[in-house]
Amino acid sequence: MSHIHIDISGLSFEYEKGHPVLDSISVSFHEHDSVGIIGANAAGKSTFLKLLVGLEMPPQGSIRIEEIPVEKNTLSKIREKIGYVFQDSDTQLFMTTVQDDVAFAPRNYGLPEDEVARRVARALDLVHIPHLAGKPIYKLSGGEKKLASIATILSMTPDIILMDEPSAALDPKNRRSLIHVLNEFDHLRIITSHDLDFIWDTCSRVVLIDAGRIIADGIPDVILRDETLLTAHGLELPLSLSER
Amino acid sequence: MSRIGNAARNIGKLDELARRDTWLNRIHPLPKLLVTVLYLVLVVSFSPRQLTGVLGMAIYPFILFEFGDLSFTSALYRMRIILPVVCLVGVLNPIFDREPALTIFGVTVTGGVLTMLSLMVKGVLTVLATYLLIATTTVESVCGALRMLHIPGILVTEFLLICRYVSVLLSEADRMWQAYSMRAPGQRGVAAGAWGSMIGRLLLRSMDRAKALYQSMCLRGFRENSTLLPVKGLESKDLFYFASFTTTLILLRIFPVLELIGRLFV
Ligand SMILES: Nc1ncnc2c1ncn2[C@@H]1O[C@H](COP(=O)(O)OP(=O)(O)OP(=O)(O)O)[C@@H](O)[C@H]1O
Ligand SMILES: [Mg+2]
Repeated sequence: MSHIHIDISGLSFEYEKGHPVLDSISVSFHEHDSVGIIGANAAGKSTFLKLLVGLEMPPQGSIRIEEIPVEKNTLSKIREKIGYVFQDSDTQLFMTTVQDDVAFAPRNYGLPEDEVARRVARALDLVHIPHLAGKPIYKLSGGEKKLASIATILSMTPDIILMDEPSAALDPKNRRSLIHVLNEFDHLRIITSHDLDFIWDTCSRVVLIDAGRIIADGIPDVILRDETLLTAHGLELPLSLSER
Repeated sequence: MSRIGNAARNIGKLDELARRDTWLNRIHPLPKLLVTVLYLVLVVSFSPRQLTGVLGMAIYPFILFEFGDLSFTSALYRMRIILPVVCLVGVLNPIFDREPALTIFGVTVTGGVLTMLSLMVKGVLTVLATYLLIATTTVESVCGALRMLHIPGILVTEFLLICRYVSVLLSEADRMWQAYSMRAPGQRGVAAGAWGSMIGRLLLRSMDRAKALYQSMCLRGFRENSTLLPVKGLESKDLFYFASFTTTLILLRIFPVLELIGRLFV
């Protein structure tokens, strides 16, 4: 059995010349890690996730996923292993109904129709939206779209889950069930968020980035309690910790 | 409700229609596509003065509307923009061609009127036939049928993406219009000065979204020459559909049915 891990070394990236978004990042993630990437707006969190699935290509540094380097000709192999939830659900969903969208990946991987149906049902169950199966995407609420987006990657049964701001748009109940889904998933998952309470509830490791550099990397109990560190980088203590 | 938003929802409505579970929706997309293409070719092939022949071809949409559980009035409503345009095509003919062609109940009909009418009928019938196809067949399955005809995968993908992007463009335009009208209350339409930047932004935004959608498809295993569009095999009911409609249509083309019926009464 292959051991799931991601190794990143010397990763730098810029959209426009002279404005580095990520600056020589080196870090490794392991099989059962549940990583929270935190940082203020424009810190480079989304860009970091996009680089991992090759949506942007780094000019410098290397990313290896289970020993496979992220390059143009390895992309399809890598993407089979990774489920990626976009920050904006409108870009994630493109089929007409929820059901079709959730079935898109398994169908594309050539699974037989009964297996596709099984996976769709299971994915919708996990995020508690079986009742939305036949609903057209354009009639969904913001939070429903988010849950549907998450279902579209759960149906891929990925080895690794990447989620960009998954808790935004969710009401407390759905937020709690998403926490539950993430905690049930026992492979590598990487979540970006500035909802530090959500990170507190789902992550076993926190990486703080600011201006494209890793500022801190450690267990939540240390980083999320360090008020000076957080405020210095545009964040605040999680509510659940600050009340105590 | 804005007109753009309406257009976007209309596309959504058509797609919902296409996803219903009626016998016509369940017919395999390939025979439906082929019958539609044959119909279009046959209708167009009538000479301009064969009005009765063309009218006979109306039997096909009539049958499908009648037995396909589709509403004729809502079809007319959805096609309300395109139908008048189609009808305009031959509108000048009566001016150019004033030769009397036939007399009905003492009224002389000129060749121009005759050709105008037959062009109108042709236009309306082709629009209706196309509507019938898209209201009963999803874009994905039309693409699947095209693949079965060995149309190159890249062309089919292109077609599929264009269909997706049209709704992206419309919904993006709708969002911008809403944002604009919230900040320009009481104003009708977009101010002249804002048009340029609105159109520019619209193009950039829909390109961005189209790119992101494409990325999202690729992240979930989509390939350019993907042959995996869900296509089932042909069943006997599909073959029956194909055989019966092609023979009917060809017969209608060869024998001017309405004329023959008319003669029975004369
Ligand atoms: N497509 C792009 N072209 C040019 N610059 C971009 C692009 N996408 C992001 N940027 C810039 O890169 C920087 C990092 O953006 P990124 O989206 O990674 O931030 P983020 O940490 O995810 O922020 P947020 O919390 O607001 O989602 C920002 O300064 C942003 O302006
Ligand atoms: Mg972001």
